[in-house]
Amino acid sequence: MVDIEKLREIAREIISRDDVRQLIGYRQGTYGFRARPAFVTDPGEVDKLIFSPACVNNLATYITLEERLPVPRGQEPDLRKVAVMVKGCDSRALVQQMEEKAYERERILVLGIPCTGVVDMDKVEKRFPGVLARGEIVLEGDKFLLTYDGKEEEVAKGELLADKCTRCRYPTPLVYDQLLDEEVARFADDDYADVEALEKRSAEEKWAYWEEKFSRCIRCYSCRNVCPMCYCEDCVLDRLNPQWMRRSVDVSENTAYHIARAYHLAGRCIQCGECQRVCPVDIPLMELNRKFYKDVEELYDYEPGTNAEAPPLLSTFKVDDREDFIM
Amino acid sequence: MNGKPKIGVYVCHCGTNIAGVVDVEEVVKFASTLPDVVIARNYSYMCSDPGQALITDDIEKLGLNRVVVASCSPRMHEPTFRKTLLSVDLNPYFLEMANIREQCSWVHEDPIAATEKAKRIVEAAVVKARRLEALDVKEVDVEPSCLVIGAGIAGIQAALDIADAGFKVYLVEKNPSVGGHMIQLDKTFPTLDCSACILTPKMVDVANHPNIELMTYSQVEEIGGYIGNFDIKVRKKSRFVDMDKCTGCGDCAEACRMAGRFPNEFDEGIGMRGAIYLPFPQAVPAKYTIDKENCLFLTKGKCGESPKCQEACQAKAINFELEDEIVEFKVGTIIVATGYDVFDARKKPEYAYGVYDNVLTALEFERLVNASGPTGGQIIMLERGKKKKKKEGEEAEPPRVPESITFIQCVGSRDKSVGNEYCSRVCCMYTAKLAHLVKDKLHDCEVTVFYMDVRAFGKGFEEFYDRVRREGVRYIRGNPSEIFKRGDKLVVKAEDTLTSTPLEHETDMVVLSVGLVPRSDNREIIDLLKLSQSSDLFYLEAHPKLRPVDTASDGIFLAGVCQGPKDIPDAVAQAKGAASAAMIPMASGKVKVEAQTSVVNEETCRGCGFCVQVCPYSAIELVEVNRMGWPVKVARVNEALCKGCGACAAACLSGSIQQRSFKDLQLLPQIQALGVK
Repeated sequence: MVDIEKLREIAREIISRDDVRQLIGYRQGTYGFRARPAFVTDPGEVDKLIFSPACVNNLATYITLEERLPVPRGQEPDLRKVAVMVKGCDSRALVQQMEEKAYERERILVLGIPCTGVVDMDKVEKRFPGVLARGEIVLEGDKFLLTYDGKEEEVAKGELLADKCTRCRYPTPLVYDQLLDEEVARFADDDYADVEALEKRSAEEKWAYWEEKFSRCIRCYSCRNVCPMCYCEDCVLDRLNPQWMRRSVDVSENTAYHIARAYHLAGRCIQCGECQRVCPVDIPLMELNRKFYKDVEELYDYEPGTNAEAPPLLSTFKVDDREDFIM
Repeated sequence: MNGKPKIGVYVCHCGTNIAGVVDVEEVVKFASTLPDVVIARNYSYMCSDPGQALITDDIEKLGLNRVVVASCSPRMHEPTFRKTLLSVDLNPYFLEMANIREQCSWVHEDPIAATEKAKRIVEAAVVKARRLEALDVKEVDVEPSCLVIGAGIAGIQAALDIADAGFKVYLVEKNPSVGGHMIQLDKTFPTLDCSACILTPKMVDVANHPNIELMTYSQVEEIGGYIGNFDIKVRKKSRFVDMDKCTGCGDCAEACRMAGRFPNEFDEGIGMRGAIYLPFPQAVPAKYTIDKENCLFLTKGKCGESPKCQEACQAKAINFELEDEIVEFKVGTIIVATGYDVFDARKKPEYAYGVYDNVLTALEFERLVNASGPTGGQIIMLERGKKKKKKEGEEAEPPRVPESITFIQCVGSRDKSVGNEYCSRVCCMYTAKLAHLVKDKLHDCEVTVFYMDVRAFGKGFEEFYDRVRREGVRYIRGNPSEIFKRGDKLVVKAEDTLTSTPLEHETDMVVLSVGLVPRSDNREIIDLLKLSQSSDLFYLEAHPKLRPVDTASDGIFLAGVCQGPKDIPDAVAQAKGAASAAMIPMASGKVKVEAQTSVVNEETCRGCGFCVQVCPYSAIELVEVNRMGWPVKVARVNEALCKGCGACAAACLSGSIQQRSFKDLQLLPQIQALGVK
């Protein structure tokens, strides 16, 4: 586990540096044991910082999400570094962003968190209804320890672990300047059993399945906004001329949106699972993303977000590339 | 110039090609109802002079400013009609082709449905025509020089023609000498000219020509730029011999401690050489080369007390300090003449090549019968890989002469099992030639040829084939299934398919008539020049009939076997064709560049560089710009390099790249008109 005092000490040191503008980390949320992002610019604020199995958010998103206001005439843009706390999975977003030249490596300072897994809040809520609001959760060995209403509950780690953690190949960040704990060895792997189950269905079954899922979509665009890989300043989906899909919320336009979203992530999605986590209507977006992820791995032997030096997959071509799947 | 659209639609019958299926009158009637269409007509052949005159008359009389031609593929006649527009001063990019032949009449049988489809295609073209923009046609200057890659007969001929016309030529050859495969051959079919005798004068010419800069033992490392302005980087590999000092006397090769230890590539491994060598006596340039993989001094750092070659060289030409040299220059055009490899007979294990000493490839046999070859032209039985240690006073055994020689044709050609479906075009005739040479030298030698069928299609070929048969060469139709050894003899197992008789044919020597295959290092040139390959993996010409020496890239031409198997006269003819094609832009001094290029919206570009990666022409780079005070990287297109392929526009996730004439706003209404509402 990350030593919170050590974390704060390191954070204080970093934020006191002249070349660092802000630090993005986690702090206690206002609702039970949920955590939320913290944007620290002052050494006085570092005591807010925490890390716990409740720190599910992928903070890499905020690096590209930050609005760049016009620089007033006569002033220089603030190009100081941004420090960011990342878990293993989140770090791959940084790697992929750099692979796509979203920013230079020097622009960020990475505090790596070797991660043993985070909880799935939905699983907690299901198992202990209402407890989220008034409890605390810690990981001890292979058990989560829940404290609430003066009671203590022990739950096997696997029962509350987020799905992505059960198949995590990179628990230790792939990019960091400082590691906040001992490296964590790979404790899981991905067998794509869920994707294979989906692949086995007939085209009609798949269509019916997704039609039902997409019919629920309210087009809040949370999935797009939280995605660390969706960071075009001007998203094609927002354009009016040409308008690629209408604003109306109906299954046809929703489907077009989700197809475009998934295609734009093919060969780029790093499986942090944030899109599915934030979806208010529980669309299993990771099933789509994971299908692409599996295809990309099997067809091109490529894992997004693992090598910042490699050219982005969909910008490369080799003569011996597989093409037997092209109709 | 864009103005309110006034569109003319011209529907072509193409004889009965279109009108036989599509009701062209009906299409015209429909087209005239479409918005902004001022006139719609049909005509038997729009591409004919009167057809084009219909268009120019209407442009002048009716003030048309957009033209839709509904006919064949734009690959066929778009350039034709662009010129039509230009002839009456209308911007040629105000033309839109509606392909109702290849994509409609040729592929449909039902006239009613085909007519409906033709209407959709025409409507789609009309809505796109309404949104077309005038484009500028730019010209760039052409450097009056040419790079020729490969100095076999094709490269040599192309270089000489261009140099004789007064243009500068850089001729780059990978091997230490020019000459290619042709200089390895003994005689040429069917005239039996001595191959070396007709080639060596040309080899000397390329070395001495004032307009040719010859770079042997050199490799092209980088090619940038575009037609008219290619930037070339060549690596001149170090020979460790000072080219200016070496007199070619050969003292060094005699002195070399490793003399006769390594198979000489030029002799296909039948003859041997030392670590310092001249591949063959007529080599051009006649300068020695040290093989750094095998030289004792260069590999072990020590060669006795001191390197023997250095001691022997009176000109003091040997210098182990010499390094590779990088040469950079500009050329206007490029001719690729990289030649071929012969088929690797080991891929047909049933023929036991590499197992038995006296199973040879035809190219090895060429060296064996060649007067300048390792045996001085004597056809003898080979003992490969045996180190003959002569004891003091012992007489060397006289070499054994084969009493029978058997040729097997189509080894690695017309053979799906090795992935080569094509005919190599030269093997039938070189086999006949080699069979003749055997009969010429060894009158009593029994010569047999196993063949599938004999393709004697060229000038004088059939006559030569007849002559060889009259000389007593026995042709047996049948593809042998196995070669094995019985006692001293090789046994060829086959079936005579004319008499349906299985047979076992005993022979002393087997010559495999190996086919021509693309060079194993083809990839290097493809990566440098972004060439395409046809299904047989030879380089692909721009059009199999009408542009046989061009490539899809402007200013880059093909000559010789690198484009596909051919014999010497065909290779020479293609080389002359490539030379004259390359001279067109060089002589005119200017060349038009693509107008339908890509444009980047720098406001929305996020600088990910996907486009930079996908661009096959290296036409895009990332540049830093100031976006409201912030330094950001954005993509920028070099319009002289852009060929308008559209790959970047497809790869751009933020939709920030648009290709002129194919912008989203031009294509989307077109798609809608096709029925996707």
